[in-house]
Amino acid sequence: MGATSPSPVPERAIYGFVLFLGSQFGFFLFCLWAYIPEEWLHSIGLTYWPQKYWALAVPIYLLVAIVITAVLLFGVNMNNTAPLDSIDIITDVYAQGQRTTDCHKRGIPRLKDVSISEVNKMFYLSPKL
Amino acid sequence: MMEDEAFTDINGKSISLDCQCHSSLCSEFIVSVPKVSIGKVMVYTCCVWLLAYAVFFFTENTAVLTSAIFITLAGMMFHIHFVKVDHESLLVIGSLGVQVSSSYASGRETTTFIEMGKIKDIVINEAIYMHQIIYYLCVLLKEPSDPDAVSSVVPLFQSSKPRLNCLVKVYKSCQEIISKC
Repeated sequence: MGATSPSPVPERAIYGFVLFLGSQFGFFLFCLWAYIPEEWLHSIGLTYWPQKYWALAVPIYLLVAIVITAVLLFGVNMNNTAPLDSIDIITDVYAQGQRTTDCHKRGIPRLKDVSISEVNKMFYLSPKL
Repeated sequence: MMEDEAFTDINGKSISLDCQCHSSLCSEFIVSVPKVSIGKVMVYTCCVWLLAYAVFFFTENTAVLTSAIFITLAGMMFHIHFVKVDHESLLVIGSLGVQVSSSYASGRETTTFIEMGKIKDIVINEAIYMHQIIYYLCVLLKEPSDPDAVSSVVPLFQSSKPRLNCLVKVYKSCQEIISKC
């Protein structure tokens, strides 16, 4: 299991640094392509590059997508929250033994999920919590 | 017996609770929300009409002004009749049932009656509502065939949403009546 722990390891530092250098170099190349006029690129011989329109379009698309994702995530979460009148707020199929029969024998009572009626009585009807 | 204290709803707006104990088996709780304030109405109307006038200033189309007037009137009538709740009441009659009614600002009243045989309990529950967790009072219903399982939940005081101190008062009085039958 030692190979799968998330601790810092020299190989991971090297991977990280290589990725960092690669991404900085890639950004430098992107800036070169975006700023150098088309005629100079054609005169060198590099003719088959995407249109300059995409130098603006791709970053703007990315930023708009990130903003919409934030709003969409919030909306999806609110949509998935159970409404106030749904039975899932009170209990579900995995709740164990919620019968309200009180069989107080001597000894440790049976382990079970406490029903909401008993919780309410304990919180709000007993004189001192 | 009537009591009035300074309660607020979950957003901090003040509401008032009126408990009437008609007898040891029957009591009524009325939660009243403050009425629509004339200042707010005037502010909204002025904003909508100034906006419409600005649009008219640029487009020179009088239909904009007419439609703004109609929209304001229709919107106010719709709000008063369907949205703005004046007071909500809960009437508990031991061994008979529970009646929940809400009355709107235009005078319209909607009422629901739940018979005691279907009621398992009235409890205060906590749930996630939008970005916060609120306490709300709800009636747990049971099927006669399975008296131990909760079949559905009916939340109470949905439009006024009082805070916990108000709910605890109502809860204690309800439990006195329900535990007797």
